[in-house]
Amino acid sequence: MSRRLFIAYFKDEQDIVEATKAAGAAGHEILDAYTPYAVHGLDKAMGLKPSRLPWVCLIFGLLGATAKLWFQVWTSAFNWPVNIGGKPLASIPAFVPVTFEITVLFAGLGTVGAFFLVSRLRPGRKPAVSYDRATNDRFVLVLVERDASFDLQKTTDLFKRHGCVKVEERLEAEE
Amino acid sequence: MAETTYRIQAPASLPVTTEFSPRALRMFLLLVLAGSAFVVSGLALDSPRIWPNLLLAGFYVVGIGLAAGFLVAVSYISNAGWLTAIRRVPEAMASNVYVGGLWMIMLLAGVHSLYEWSHTETVAADALLQKKEFWLNVPFFSVRTIAYAVLWSLFTYLLVHTSRLQDETGEVTLTLRNRAIAAVFTVVFTLTFWIASMDWIMSLEPHWYSTIFGIYNFSGTFTSGVAAVTVAVIALRRRGYLKEFVRDDHLHDLGKLLFAFSTFWMYIWFSQYLLIWYANIPEETAYFLKRETAGWGTFTILVLLFNWVIPFIALMPRSAKRSEGVLLRVSIVVLVGHWIDLFWMILPTFMPGSPSFSIWELGPIVLAAGLVCLVTVRSLTRARLIPVNDPMLLESLTYHS
Repeated sequence: MSRRLFIAYFKDEQDIVEATKAAGAAGHEILDAYTPYAVHGLDKAMGLKPSRLPWVCLIFGLLGATAKLWFQVWTSAFNWPVNIGGKPLASIPAFVPVTFEITVLFAGLGTVGAFFLVSRLRPGRKPAVSYDRATNDRFVLVLVERDASFDLQKTTDLFKRHGCVKVEERLEAEE
Repeated sequence: MAETTYRIQAPASLPVTTEFSPRALRMFLLLVLAGSAFVVSGLALDSPRIWPNLLLAGFYVVGIGLAAGFLVAVSYISNAGWLTAIRRVPEAMASNVYVGGLWMIMLLAGVHSLYEWSHTETVAADALLQKKEFWLNVPFFSVRTIAYAVLWSLFTYLLVHTSRLQDETGEVTLTLRNRAIAAVFTVVFTLTFWIASMDWIMSLEPHWYSTIFGIYNFSGTFTSGVAAVTVAVIALRRRGYLKEFVRDDHLHDLGKLLFAFSTFWMYIWFSQYLLIWYANIPEETAYFLKRETAGWGTFTILVLLFNWVIPFIALMPRSAKRSEGVLLRVSIVVLVGHWIDLFWMILPTFMPGSPSFSIWELGPIVLAAGLVCLVTVRSLTRARLIPVNDPMLLESLTYHS
């Protein structure tokens, strides 16, 4: 299966935001946008759903907290009880700092790991697509030409109205 | 490429100044009068009970003002553009430093009802208090109290005055001048507030000491200040004043600050507790022992619940920090929580056993609430609601969080 991609290049961040909104309104399927830096408002214009990463962060944090608290209680009170300063064996206040650190560690690593996994970033991965100057001074919007109803001329005109400087079409083999 | 000129265009409906209905002002004035009546009768009828509550309320008022001033100062130093559109609110709230400072000076009249170390016969019988006498004596204490009030008022005035001056002259140099004032103020504020909290609150139990006490008080005070600013911003927005300028992005940032500093408060609270609990030295544990037994133990749970547990859980989702309703409710919880926190610090000395609540607690609260509202609202009407000539305004108006 392969698909045809329609690629529009913009010079200005305001233009790509407006063009993205217009493309969405015209019912085009937006594959992605490639910009040299994070453009405010572009995510909203693309109609992206809120990230699910905060949930991953919360779950990993809770997991870390539970695991570490359990581990400390198990080691100090059950597996090898040691009386320290006459305090109770399972002294929760003493366990709080390390529990806190492990919570942060789990939440942090878990979130980054989940992000890498979802976006399929791994060492040695070849860049899938590259767009001219998208990492320098061009803002690139990529549409999927879904079916025969895609009107090349009309779409090009739409983007030209929004300050598009170059358009191109590509045939992409899907991964 | 063509030169882009950015011009700040105020919407046509820009409210130049804020006007409040005389009814609202009358209501605040009524609160102040009712609170004063309460306090005066309290001084006559039950003065040992009313003095600590006056200390609590005075510290609360001066703290709200200082926290607001500190927020303004930090925004200047860190170039925090997002705050510019709503900066007039903390600026107005900073005026509470004047009344709060005056309140703390007036409190010197009750120094013998509040502080054990102010009685010569007690000091004569106590070796430790004799060693601390060089610092804890009435004349020096009075001088320090006045010095704090004067210093804080001076810096607050300079910050607010310079910011308002820019509305008229439009000079960018005023921003730079305020940045310098803000830098000095943050240093002066941190050092003096640290010592002031030890003077006014920690010395209620003069045998006890905690070196983290200043930061602990800073964290609680700043959190309550952010909460107060949030409440005021939301109240103004609901009345239609800041509607065009304050978007959910600004609320989001206030929510993030509230969330972060509430957590910071918990962090410091626990740091103080952990070290004292671990070392287990009698002269240090006395403080927590008093607050763990009987009714105070339950009260301690309230302190933690209001200041951290509720704000932390409620403000965790992004949508909550952007929601007017949630943010308003959490801010009120934090404001109540700060009162509970101060009550927990101050009152156990005077109420051994269990906490109790009476009309003598209520009086100073009514007075403080009325004063803060009155002072803030009056100060808001004295200047433009938006710093129209601030170079950071455009950034603030187009801000995305």
